[in-house]
Amino acid sequence: MRTCVRTVIVCVLLPRFELVVAAGGRRELLGSPATLAPEAGREQLIGEVSPAAEAFGVRRGMRLGEALARCTTLALVPPDPMGVADTWEAALVALEGIGAEVEPGRPGLACFDSRGLARLHGSLDGVLRAAYAALRGEAPRGARRVIPTGRRGSAPSPIARLVPRLGAGPTRFLAVAAASRARARKPEAVRGPRELAGEPVELLALREETAALPGPLARLGILTLGDLAALPRDGLADRFGRAGLLAHDLVSGRDGVLVPRRPGERLEESLELPESASGQQLERGLGMLIDRLLARRDRRARTLRAVVLSARLVEGGTWRERVVFREALADPARMRLALGGRLALLPAPAEALRLEADRFGPPHPESRALFEDGIAERRERLREAVGQARAVAGPEAALRVLPVDLESRVPERRVVLAPFEA
Amino acid sequence: MARAGARAASSGPRRLARPQPSRVRARENDGRPLVVDGRMVEAVRESWLVEDRWWTDAPLRRRYWEVVTACGRDLVVFRDLVAGRWYSQR
Repeated sequence: MRTCVRTVIVCVLLPRFELVVAAGGRRELLGSPATLAPEAGREQLIGEVSPAAEAFGVRRGMRLGEALARCTTLALVPPDPMGVADTWEAALVALEGIGAEVEPGRPGLACFDSRGLARLHGSLDGVLRAAYAALRGEAPRGARRVIPTGRRGSAPSPIARLVPRLGAGPTRFLAVAAASRARARKPEAVRGPRELAGEPVELLALREETAALPGPLARLGILTLGDLAALPRDGLADRFGRAGLLAHDLVSGRDGVLVPRRPGERLEESLELPESASGQQLERGLGMLIDRLLARRDRRARTLRAVVLSARLVEGGTWRERVVFREALADPARMRLALGGRLALLPAPAEALRLEADRFGPPHPESRALFEDGIAERRERLREAVGQARAVAGPEAALRVLPVDLESRVPERRVVLAPFEA
Repeated sequence: MARAGARAASSGPRRLARPQPSRVRARENDGRPLVVDGRMVEAVRESWLVEDRWWTDAPLRRRYWEVVTACGRDLVVFRDLVAGRWYSQR
């Protein structure tokens, strides 16, 4: 007897994730018109907006001037990319804690395949309950608490204040659409694309590749996903290119396979600066962080391919920059050179600095010297070996036989033992 | 490591092949070794005299013997002609 297992994708949606995290404990902000301020030094576009601000016609991605013109009482919340990254990572780890292979989207949106988990948690409902409990920091069935509740003595983690919306569907897009119309503690399941025929085309904005389509489609009078599905593919391809074809596939129930992330290890070093630091003081702090990160034993001699440099600013808010090295390296001098320039982008003095390994490279760097110099390489390895031997067995562990008078008739005058100086 | 390096530097160069005191029974007339550290001497391969620093207060006068013992070992011993003691040396 053949058993056919239907694919059911589960989507976890945390609405206004970045805004809630940036607002921190100030819940009242979310009840009034508020938006994420543009990041310093970047384009002056606002981020996520509160429902009250939406009522004034303020939308994400709008120019700051236009947003303030539409809503004069609009509160600007300083962005907190560092907090968003931390909280989102905690949420993903929590989902992975129930056994899910998670494909993260933008912060606040993640999907996973429930096929293997349904047996583990009893049913699809069991999977959804487990995901909800994990995200809320609850511990069903005696499992340990996964979400950290924040620093000692501080407010609980922002994720515990978020109310996840859960949706399920046969494809990623249908699951995301289901989650977007789900209510708190009331997961929504979509069995096929026909159930979404009446949904607005704005749902396409949840997917990065089709985010630009809702506006032009609305202007053409195509307001629902059902309208879009009824259009000929050729016409969509002519008008919108690859994005149009993808949108048609999505609303027709076709989508690509999930690409789960590989659960990684967290390797980071942070430094609290006693007073607001900038310039040379900050560079020294960065140098110390690099040295400490490279000295970590759990790095296991691997090179670093990408790191994340972040800072907590004295003016409030945080700053975060991901740096991908041209080649994987573990040389502190080259890392200082590559990261030092990024410190100049800091919009304000910092009170804390953090360096995090994002991607690892191979244990040995792939780079080669311009000229292969075997002698120099051998000498370097010998120097290292001598250093290690002396560290273990004392200074007499490595000595050099030094010829003094090889022709002498008195044997003890011919050679002497001298300390090895590589 | 820094402390180890300092100790290494203070120890300085050390001579190799320093003479080691040895127990030798020799013939009375010509000083030919018969027993070296309890091993019977089977044959004498070579003998030579070294005289040095005779112009100083610490002159060096040695009669060297390269011998083969009954157990097959090749040894070099010498008699310090100033102090009258025997030493082995490689």
